[in-house]
Amino acid sequence: MPAWTGRPGVFVLLRHLAALRRSTDLARGAPRSVAIRHVDAGSCNGCEHELGATLGPIYDLQRFGLSITASPRHADILLVTGPVTTRMRDALLVAYSAMPEPRLVAALGNCALGCGLLGDPAEMIGSVEAILPVAVRVPGCPPTPDEIARHLLAGLEEVRAAHVRPTS
Amino acid sequence: MTVPDQQRELLDVSADRWHERIADLLAGGMRFLTLWSDPAERVACALGSGYGTTVVRSTPAPGELQSIVDVAGAAAWDEREIHDRTGVQFAGHVPLRPLVAHPAATADWVTPVSGDDVHQVAVGPIHAGVVESGHFRFHVVGERILHLDLRLFYKHRGLEAAAAGATPDLAARLAQRACAACAVTNSVAVAQAYESAHAGVPDAAVRRARTLLLELERLYNHLNDIGAICSGIGLATGSMAFAELKERAQRVNAELTGHRFLFDTIAVGSSDLDIDASTAAHLRARVAAIGAEAALLWADVGANRSVRARIRGAGILVRDEALRLGACGPAGRASGVNDDARADGGLLWYPGFVGATLNDPSGDVAARIEIRAREITACCAIIEDVLSDPVRPGRVTLSGPAAGPGIAQLESPRGRTVAVVEPDRAVIAGLHLRTGSYANWPALAAACTGAILPDFPLINKSFELCYACVDR
Ligand code: SF4
Repeated sequence: MPAWTGRPGVFVLLRHLAALRRSTDLARGAPRSVAIRHVDAGSCNGCEHELGATLGPIYDLQRFGLSITASPRHADILLVTGPVTTRMRDALLVAYSAMPEPRLVAALGNCALGCGLLGDPAEMIGSVEAILPVAVRVPGCPPTPDEIARHLLAGLEEVRAAHVRPTS
Repeated sequence: MTVPDQQRELLDVSADRWHERIADLLAGGMRFLTLWSDPAERVACALGSGYGTTVVRSTPAPGELQSIVDVAGAAAWDEREIHDRTGVQFAGHVPLRPLVAHPAATADWVTPVSGDDVHQVAVGPIHAGVVESGHFRFHVVGERILHLDLRLFYKHRGLEAAAAGATPDLAARLAQRACAACAVTNSVAVAQAYESAHAGVPDAAVRRARTLLLELERLYNHLNDIGAICSGIGLATGSMAFAELKERAQRVNAELTGHRFLFDTIAVGSSDLDIDASTAAHLRARVAAIGAEAALLWADVGANRSVRARIRGAGILVRDEALRLGACGPAGRASGVNDDARADGGLLWYPGFVGATLNDPSGDVAARIEIRAREITACCAIIEDVLSDPVRPGRVTLSGPAAGPGIAQLESPRGRTVAVVEPDRAVIAGLHLRTGSYANWPALAAACTGAILPDFPLINKSFELCYACVDR
């Protein structure tokens, strides 16, 4: 029997988890299956921390059918963080070109949206939009896990609505 | 608690005395802090003893200085960086491989490793999960890692260049942007470096507020790091449990300051943080609960036999190697290097600070996770101590600018972070940030030597170094 069963730690954890998950108050939404490939294009790592939390036990993005995939070949969405440094530009474009169609680009965080950038302009492209077509935008510095989940779900809903063929 | 006298010494030496002078100071017991190239195109070396610092400066002649890596192994990356940025040669540092520069040809930056069946495994800059970008090149035989070459600086945003000519407040914001996980450390470091160049004396309120914010930063980072190591082990229970505790710690941050990563809480010359007695008491109880539950959880997870089997003996960094490479922070302490900038006193609020230590600093993944678990307890105790009274706004009394740069040393969640500010009247002429992560990356590469490739993610997580505050 593992050492931790029957000890109080895990029960304390589970109680809190249940309470915290209720407190996020996210609606369940329609079932879907969307694979996301994340690329850090020069972020401060704040957006990564919050994206990680969105996938964690409390916000649990997977319950809406969204998951992270290791390869761009399997990805539906390219989710980009950071101001796109000149040194990450080529790697980002390679990842995008490796994706099958149809594909979408999402920009996560103010840096990826080109807002309020700090640094040497010579070292940065300045926004994801400057080199790729961005369909979903998640503002914030960094956006909270709650905001990330809401924006991704709403953005996908919008894209889907725009692509539904009118029935005659 | 009195503010210690911050000893500052400035030595301008000729190029032929550069090495000798630094070697003497190191032999006298000082520690190497950082090297940088200053706005007057000199190369400067900061050395520390307690909270006091000595700066040795020299003009390379002609375009060359003697390397100090024979007496300060920790200076290897600093010399490579200065060479890339300014072209200054360091005689005796052979080969002087590029660090910041990214030459197109692999042979121009990768260490040649040859022998039967040796091959390279290239990883990154884009990694498999939600991870920062950087490139690793493993030289392996079968699964065994013979050598690891690191190529970072993919996320270089030119933050130091942008700080030249900036106001001190903007410089602190630039440093904060370098890295979310070390946002408080980096901005306090720049604020203190600027203040130190102006003989700044922070009042008790400023010292308490900054200490509180620094420890809150350490708390969520350590919780994150233990969770990350559990992911590296493949122990979902542990990674989920610590992710939950990290979330609660970040919610405390948000309630206290309005930001989950404590952004924009540090000002140069003052502190605005204002927490009344009842809020302080309420948050104090929440931090105490997080600390108690983390201890309980670690007692469960850390005692598990399959967890122990996985983390013991993985990625060993022996003490001599750790000392030679300048390893610090939890990674250094796990190898028996008892280096903690909080013990130096300084301009914060650590009365009677005694750092957490291990009975058996075995330098493996097990030691690096254990030291963090112990530090969480110590960290919560410091936070609870500060929050037992209200925290009020405060000021730093500044005098006229002193000669030479201002230097600050702080203990980030990753190790000793050093900031150098070159003041120029109301603006700053130069900023240099050498973070705890920067100090520890060479030690991580050393810990991988002899390990097996499948252990790399685990060893990497056990150091959990930032890329962002190295790349800047
Ligand atoms: S948006 Fe903010 S948190 Fe995200 S990478 Fe940029 S600075 Fe960091």
